[in-house]
Amino acid sequence: MRHEGVVQMASAADNKWQKDAADQNFDYMFKLLIIGNSSVGKTSFLFRYADDSFTSAFVSTVGIDFKVKTVFRNDKRVKLQIWDTAGQERYRTITTAYYRGAMGFILMYDVTNEESFQAVQDWSTQIKTYSWDNAQVILVGNKCDMEDERVVSVDRGKQLSDQLGLEFFETSAKENINVKQTFERLVDIICDKMSESLDSDPTIVSNSQTGRKLTQEPQPSNSGCAC
Amino acid sequence: MADDGQESEVFEITDFTTASDWERFIARLEEVMHDWKLPTLKRNPPVKKGEYTIGSWKEKSANVRYANFTFTITEYKLKQEYNEKDLTLDDEESEDILPEAVEDLMMMENDFPPRAHCLCRWFGLRHFLVLSPAAHSDAVISESRIRILQSSVSIAISNTSCQIPVFVQVQQKWRRMYVGQCEGPGMRTSFDMVHLKKIPHQFNHLAGLLGVFKSKISTPVSSPPPVSVAVRFTYILQDWTNYSWPQLPPDFDAPSGSEVGNSGFGKLPFGAVEDPVSELHLATTWPSLSEDMIVDNDVYSDLDPIQAPQWSVRIRMMEKPQCLLGEYLGDFGKLCKRSESVEQLLGRSFYQDDSDTADISQALQRLTEPVPMHIPTLSSVVTRARTRMHHKKQMEEEPIPGDILNEILQFLFPDAGLIACIRRWSCCIFLLPLTLLQSGAPCLGSCLLHQKLQMLNCCIARKIARENTSMSQSSSAVSLGTNIQPSLSSNSFLPASLSQASFGGSDRGSLASSPSNKDEDEDDDEFFECDEDPEEGENEKVGEEELAAAGNSQDVEMEDVEEKDKIERTEKEEKEKPEKTSDDSSPDEIAFRDTVVYQPEGRLRQCGDLTLICNDDELLYIPITQDPAPMTEDQLEEHATVLAELGTSEEGAELRARMQSACLLSDMEAFKAANPGCMLEDFVRWYSPRDYIEDDDSCNTPHPDMNEEDRDRMKKGKLSSRMMIPGNMWQEVWSQAKPVPARRQKRLFDDTKEAEKVLHYLASLKPAEVALHLMPMLIHAAIIRIQHIEIEGLPSLTSLMTQITQRASKLTRMGSTDIKKYEEVIKQIELAEVVIARAQSLRAKFSQQVLEDDDKQTELEKFVSSLLEQPEVSVLGAGRGPAGTILHRLFAAAQRSANMLPSEEELLADDDVVDHASQSSSVSVKDFPRPAGKEFILRTRVQRPTSYSRALPQRLFCVLMNNDFRLAGAFSEDTTFF
Repeated sequence: MRHEGVVQMASAADNKWQKDAADQNFDYMFKLLIIGNSSVGKTSFLFRYADDSFTSAFVSTVGIDFKVKTVFRNDKRVKLQIWDTAGQERYRTITTAYYRGAMGFILMYDVTNEESFQAVQDWSTQIKTYSWDNAQVILVGNKCDMEDERVVSVDRGKQLSDQLGLEFFETSAKENINVKQTFERLVDIICDKMSESLDSDPTIVSNSQTGRKLTQEPQPSNSGCAC
Repeated sequence: MADDGQESEVFEITDFTTASDWERFIARLEEVMHDWKLPTLKRNPPVKKGEYTIGSWKEKSANVRYANFTFTITEYKLKQEYNEKDLTLDDEESEDILPEAVEDLMMMENDFPPRAHCLCRWFGLRHFLVLSPAAHSDAVISESRIRILQSSVSIAISNTSCQIPVFVQVQQKWRRMYVGQCEGPGMRTSFDMVHLKKIPHQFNHLAGLLGVFKSKISTPVSSPPPVSVAVRFTYILQDWTNYSWPQLPPDFDAPSGSEVGNSGFGKLPFGAVEDPVSELHLATTWPSLSEDMIVDNDVYSDLDPIQAPQWSVRIRMMEKPQCLLGEYLGDFGKLCKRSESVEQLLGRSFYQDDSDTADISQALQRLTEPVPMHIPTLSSVVTRARTRMHHKKQMEEEPIPGDILNEILQFLFPDAGLIACIRRWSCCIFLLPLTLLQSGAPCLGSCLLHQKLQMLNCCIARKIARENTSMSQSSSAVSLGTNIQPSLSSNSFLPASLSQASFGGSDRGSLASSPSNKDEDEDDDEFFECDEDPEEGENEKVGEEELAAAGNSQDVEMEDVEEKDKIERTEKEEKEKPEKTSDDSSPDEIAFRDTVVYQPEGRLRQCGDLTLICNDDELLYIPITQDPAPMTEDQLEEHATVLAELGTSEEGAELRARMQSACLLSDMEAFKAANPGCMLEDFVRWYSPRDYIEDDDSCNTPHPDMNEEDRDRMKKGKLSSRMMIPGNMWQEVWSQAKPVPARRQKRLFDDTKEAEKVLHYLASLKPAEVALHLMPMLIHAAIIRIQHIEIEGLPSLTSLMTQITQRASKLTRMGSTDIKKYEEVIKQIELAEVVIARAQSLRAKFSQQVLEDDDKQTELEKFVSSLLEQPEVSVLGAGRGPAGTILHRLFAAAQRSANMLPSEEELLADDDVVDHASQSSSVSVKDFPRPAGKEFILRTRVQRPTSYSRALPQRLFCVLMNNDFRLAGAFSEDTTFF
C-alpha cells in the first residue's frame, strides 16, 4: 500500500524520531482523523488512548498533529496513525486537505457545549465532501464525566448518530470511559469494510501472502488437523 | 449399514507391508477410497431437473503410484442441496437396492446437460471416480495394462464395497476413452466405449444403433420391453444472410452521432468492428420416445426438427472480437510504457528554436502574452473546446471535467504518432490552464496533472491580484476587463479567475479587494530581483522561520520601488521595537505600546460588536488575512511525510506545531495591525472563541504583571486554562507577532516559486508519464462512455460495471502509477465492451422481424437476454413459439442462400411461414441443414445374463458428429443369479 511505503520511507530517513524501530513492522496501516469543534477534547482523547495520560489542559493544537498506536487484529499488526486536528474555523481548509486518504474519522463534540453539538452536521458534511467514500465515521460525545454541566443528552446524541448513520459513543478522556472502545470499534468497522472489498475484488488479496480475511478468526495453533 | 461388518474386516486385512507394486497400488486405491469416505456414503435424493448444469461440482484429487508410473485419481461429485426430509427413509437396506449410479443411468431429468463432465453427459452420473495417468502426455494403451488397471479397480471396489463407479482413462487423453465399473449388491455394471473417426454407414441412424444396443445386451428374454429413446439433433447457423453487423470501420473524418463507433471529437470510440456472434447452435430434442413409435433409418426419418417438442439454443461467440474502445485504451496503455524523454523523441532543436521555453523562468510571462502557434490546428481546437465549454457550462456530475479532458485526450492522442502528440502536448500545456480549467485551489479529487494546472492557474490569479492590490493606492480602480485583457489571449480566463469568489473563498477576505490598472511588463522586471537579506540578517529565529515557511519561499517580492522602500523602513522599525522590549516585558505590554505607534491597517470588518478588552471605545476588527497556501496532492503528501517524520515524541510535536505556526503568526500580525492596542485575549475572542471564558466572577485571576487599569477590564473574562499554559505556542507566537497587515507580510504562498515548480514538473514529464497521468481520466471517460450506452436486462454487465467502477476509483484515488493495474481495468472494460457488442448483435438479429404481438415481443426480448447470460436457453414453444419462428426463418434463409435460391421475401409475401416453409422445403430445399450432431440415449431395463436374473438398467449413449463417432454403453448384469 502506498501509505505503508510513505511511512517506511519516513522512518528510514529519520530514525532518531522513531521511538522504536519495530514501528515499521506492521501488516496494515490505518490513517485515522479526529475532528470536531475547538476544545471539545480531541487532543486529550488521543493522549488518553495513545499514552494513557490526561492533563486538564493541552495546548490548543496548531494545524495538525499525530500519534501512533499499534493494535492487533487476528494476528495482524495494525498500525494506527491518528491525526489530531485544530478545531478552529480558520484551520478548516488546512485540515480538510488531510481528509483524503483517511480510513476512519472520529467526529467529536462536547456534551457540555451545545454549539459543538450543533456543528456535528457540518463536520459530517465536510467528511462527505473531502474524504474517500468508504471512510468510516464514529460520532463521539466527549466529557461525559461532567454531568453537572451537560447540555446535550445521550438521547440527542444517539438520535443524531442514527440520523447520520454513524455509530455513537459517549466518552470521557478524563475518566477513561469508552476511549479504547471507540478506537477498537472504528478499527473493527474498517476491517469489515476492507474484507468486504476483498471479497468483491479478488485481485486485492495479492498484497498479503495468505489472503486471509481480517475478520476471520485466527486458526487455533494447536489445531489437531493433520492436513 | 449392511457393509459395516465387512468394512471393519477390510481394515483388519489392510496390509501395508504388501510386497508387490501391484498390491501396493491396490492398497493405495483402497486407502484413498476410505479417506474420501466413499464406502459409507449416504444416499442422496434423486437429482432435480437441470441440476447437473446449475449445481456446482466438487472435485478432489490424489496421486496413486503403480511402480514408477503416477496416476491421478479424481472424484467428481455434484453438490446437492436438499432438506433432510427430502430423503426417503428406506432404512430397510434391502439387498435389492441398486447403487445410486446405476439408478442414475435411467434418470431422464438431466439428459443432454449443456455444461458437464463428459462422463456425466454420457452416463448421467452425479458422482464418480476417474483414474488417469498424472502426466498429460502419458497414456495407457496396451490391452494388458488396461486389464491390470481394471482388475486393480475391481479388487479395490469389492474390498471396500464402494458403490461409486470408477473409470480408468485409456488411450490418448484427447480421445476421452474410459472403461469403468460399478458394483452393487448382487450386480455389476460395466462401462465401455467405442470411439471412431468416421461414422459407420450402418450406424448413422437410430435403427442401426438400436441393433447394436440389443445385440450387446443379448438378453435371453424372448420379448424384452421396448427401448426408450431420447434424441437430440444439433443444427449450426453460421450465415446470417439478411443481417450485417452495423459497426463500420473507424472513420475519423465523418462526424457521426451513431450509437456505435466513433462519434465525434468529444467521445471515445466504442463498439466491435466485427460481429461478435459467430455461431448459433440449435438443439432439437425428443426427450422420451419409445423405439416402436418412431422410424429413423437410412431412407426415412420421423425426426423433423420443426416437430421436436424441445428446442434450445446456444450462442458461440468470437473469442476476441476487435473492439474500438478496448483497442484505444490498449494503445494508450502502450504509450505509458514508452521510456523516451521529450528530448530523445524530438531532438534538442525543439527547445532551441523556442528560446523562451528553454528559460523556464520566462514561462509565466509567456502565459500572459499571446502564444505563438506552432501547429495551425491548435488554435482552432482550443477555440472549439472553449466554445463547447460555454455551451455546456458545467457537468456537475463528473468530478473531473470529463468532457474537457476527453477533448484534450482526443486531440492529443487520436492515432497520430507519438512525436506529434508530444509536440502538441508541449504547446497545449501553456494554453490550457488559462482557458479551460476552473479557478481556485487545486481540487484534490482530480488527477495530479489537473491539480498542477489548477495550481498554475491559481498562481497566475494570485499574482495578478497582488499586482492589482499594490497599485490600488496610487491609481483609482479601473474596470477589471480592460485591465488585463491586453495581456491575455483569452477572455474566458477573466470572469473565471478574477471574480471575487476565487479569492474571497473564506469570508475573511482576500488580497484582491480593490483591483486596479497595472502595466504587466513594468513589474516583471523586478519579478526576480527580490532581496531577502534585510530580513534574514537580524532575525534570531531564522532557522525556525525557515522551517515554518517550509514549502514557501523566503524571498519577498516588491512590486513597486516606493512600496519596497517603505516596507523596508517599516520592517526595520518593527524589528527594533520588540528587541528593545522582549527581554523583560510581557506580550501585553508590547501590544499596549503598539497602540502608541500604529494607525490601524488592513481591517476587513467588525467582529460583531466586540470591543477591545483594554479599551472599550475601540471596536474589534477582523483583519484581512492571507489565504492558506493551496497544495496539490503530491505536495500535501510530502508535507504530511515531513510532519510524520518528526515522530510522536514531545519534541516532535513541538516542532510540528512550530512548522505550522506561520499561518498563526501571519494572522496574529494582521490582527495586531488592524487592532492597535489589542491583547491575546482579543485575538482569541475572534480566532478561537471558546478559549475566552466570559466570566463575571470577581475572583478571576488576571496576569500578575498587569497594571490596575487592565485588571479592571479583565473582569469581563479570561483566557481558558490551556491558553494560559506558560510558554505555550499561542502566547509565544503572539509575543513575536508584529503589527503588519497581510499585504505587507511575507507571503505564505509564493506564487512565483510555486508556478515555477509546476512548470518544472510539467517540463520534466516524459511523454509516457503524461500518458500515465491521463490514464485516470481516460478510464473515467471510458466508463462514462459505456454507461451512456443504454442497454438493459444484462445483470452480468451491471455487476461487471460495478466492479470496474469500484476498481477504477480505488486505483485512481491511490494515484497509482502502476500501469499493470490500469491494464487490468482496461481488460475489464474491454470485456464490458464485448458483452455489449454481443447483446447488440443478438438483439439486432432477433429484432429484425418485428412481432405484432406485444407479449410475444417481450418474450422474445427475454429470450435474447437469457442467451447472453446462460450457456443454453430453451425456446418456449419450440419451433412454434415467437423465438422459434424467427430461428426457423434464419435457418431457412441461410439454406436458401447456401443453395443459391431466391430469398424468402421474394418467394412469399406474408404467408404463415411455418406451414408454408415445411411444404416448400420438400419441393426445393429443406429449411434446416443436415444436423451437425446427433445424439441418442437408449435405455432399457432387462434381465441379464439369464432369464431368471434381475431386470437391470442398460444404457447406450451415441454421439454422431462429422469426425467423431462415439458409443458409450453401460451394461448391468446380475452377479447372484447367472
